[in-house]
Amino acid sequence: MSTATADPATAPLAAAVAEMAARLARVTVEVRSRGRSPAHGGPVGSGIVWHPDGLILTNAHVAHGDVVVVLSDGHARPARLVARDPRRDLAALVVDGTDLPAAEIGDSSALRVGELVLAVGNPHGLVRALSAGLVHAAGERFIQADLRLAPGNSGGPLADARGCVVGLNAMIVGGLAVAVPSNLARRFVREQLRA
Amino acid sequence: MEALLSLSNDLAGAVEQAAPSIVAVQARRHVPSTGIHWRPGIVVTADHTVRREEDITVAAADGRSLRAVLAGRDPGTDLAVLRVDGLGAATAALGDDGALRVGHMVLALGYGPRVSWGVISAIGPRWRSWRGGEIDRLIRLDLVLYPGFSGGPLVDATGRVVGLNTSGLARESRLAVPLTTVSRVADELLRTGHVARGYLGIGMQPVRLPEPLRAQLGLAGETGLMVVTVEPDGPAGRAGVLLGDVLVALDDTAVGDLDDVQARLGGTRIGTAIAATVVRAGARAELRITVGERPRRGA
Repeated sequence: MSTATADPATAPLAAAVAEMAARLARVTVEVRSRGRSPAHGGPVGSGIVWHPDGLILTNAHVAHGDVVVVLSDGHARPARLVARDPRRDLAALVVDGTDLPAAEIGDSSALRVGELVLAVGNPHGLVRALSAGLVHAAGERFIQADLRLAPGNSGGPLADARGCVVGLNAMIVGGLAVAVPSNLARRFVREQLRA
Repeated sequence: MEALLSLSNDLAGAVEQAAPSIVAVQARRHVPSTGIHWRPGIVVTADHTVRREEDITVAAADGRSLRAVLAGRDPGTDLAVLRVDGLGAATAALGDDGALRVGHMVLALGYGPRVSWGVISAIGPRWRSWRGGEIDRLIRLDLVLYPGFSGGPLVDATGRVVGLNTSGLARESRLAVPLTTVSRVADELLRTGHVARGYLGIGMQPVRLPEPLRAQLGLAGETGLMVVTVEPDGPAGRAGVLLGDVLVALDDTAVGDLDDVQARLGGTRIGTAIAATVVRAGARAELRITVGERPRRGA
């Protein structure tokens, strides 16, 4: 297959999407249940590297206890559950590390209905798969996106067209992606990890 | 990166441009449907979402609830028109459905506003819906119509309305009624309250025309329509059409199925004479039928 016939006007767009997908994949981790060894655990969802010093955010329904995370470089590390809030469906994990590739966090209150969003996660055992869609409706407690997700996307990033994380994908309701807004996640981190 | 951001801004801008003219229509239980503020005081929506003819309310984009009166409905094209006082000045910016191409990025909007994103998956010629309405262009969509999205606008990437989305015209796929059809039908509904269709007052069934007969009588089509019922006082009955006649042409154009017949019986033909060619007892017979108006269901 040749791509030489692609419309030149769409080439920068395709390149931008590809670059964004790669950038998001770097900050997305795979969350696996803790087996006897890292290799024994099964995949349960996704997570976002929130801070380079090893803080990872995911959904509460993904992390019920200590888990294993697989970083984008392929390394599996044991992760300690340090905070969990089932009401907001948020959980904080900590892995050893000082210089992890961390996400840039956006302001979810600035989202406009109709703007482009991208999701990266590990649906159906696919590692760091990309979905693209639009903001369907945005509220303080959740963001709805017209975007195809699968269960393994839970805890993974929903990002705007700048590549800033604006939410954690949490649920699929009536075909719509539902994400926990980044501002809610920021508050969770502030409240739970003040020390 | 710039390309993505600029597309994102364009799409969000398109939603903002269209949003003030989008209303919620409460004409059924449970989920409201969406309507488009078409012209000052006029809202169009999908007919199949209008489940009652009284006690209809419309929620404006700013949240105000307003009383609406059903001005007319056409199940054939799945369009209904409402009159609403107090909607303000924000009417829909209209685009050109003739310019749509397969692959164009489009948005379907629901009240709120809420958004669904996709592409035009197919464009086709004029077609007739399963409910008998004439639709000027087939617009098939690759996007999700979420609950309550029927009756809402299909907008292009600049926020201009190019059609009205409905799940009521096809079981499996998402379609939009093109802007051209919405304008035409809305005008007619506002003028008369319904969409008139030509009517002959006969029931017909397609039959194969034997090759020797076609050659002998110089018939163009391979099939004709055998008359299986005749309303005695109907337009065709009065013109002398008999049970067993085989209709082969209207206005000298061959008709081989019911769609061909319907296509020649548009609303503008009502009251005018149409030349009907029938095969009767192995010979051609020419009749002139004054086209009537199809009686309305429940009217």
